[in-house]
Amino acid sequence: MKQADLIICRCEEITETEIREAIRLGMTTPNEIKRFTRAGMGLCQGKTCRHLVASILSRETGEPLSEFIPSSYRPPLRPVALSTLANQTKEVPGGGQDHED
Amino acid sequence: MRIKDHPILDRLEWGNRVTFSLDGKPVEGFEGEPIAAALLAAGHRVLRYTNKHREPRGIFCALGRCTDCMMTVDGQPNIRTCVTPVRDGMIIQTQIGKAIGWKGKD
Repeated sequence: MKQADLIICRCEEITETEIREAIRLGMTTPNEIKRFTRAGMGLCQGKTCRHLVASILSRETGEPLSEFIPSSYRPPLRPVALSTLANQTKEVPGGGQDHED
Repeated sequence: MRIKDHPILDRLEWGNRVTFSLDGKPVEGFEGEPIAAALLAAGHRVLRYTNKHREPRGIFCALGRCTDCMMTVDGQPNIRTCVTPVRDGMIIQTQIGKAIGWKGKD
């Protein structure tokens, strides 16, 4: 595997090249990269790639990491079935709940 | 492969044997162990195929964080099998992409 093909966001399958390309095209903050590439918008909501994206941005721009505001956090923190959010009652695998038919 | 004597946790004991199915084939495991652990012990390392490039994924973080172990469990897609206990009769399917509208191998 070439360095350029390194997967940065495992959920959305975004590579280091795609992150660099986003920066080259003018993205200047972690949030902009997130919205432009979808890195961090997958199932795990950026638990791993959030920091990697920020460090690539820091390296590419020469700005220290402390200068960047972290990309936004969105609930839920783990995958939740819509029926759980709708407060229905049947147990389903994974600790959530499903609605009774 | 299962660890029987753990350097910190000492001797490990398991619950009752259970049988569940993976893509229609029977697999044996122990009640209460994570689905992904039972599958690994039975020699199944691929848990899903990614949405964009259809690449195989298996256990990565093994603590419910990375979402690489997502499978369809009893018809529910996107279940984190590394933190979901296995039960007798569970129907597990290898998840292809987002598993929406998937009817068979593509």
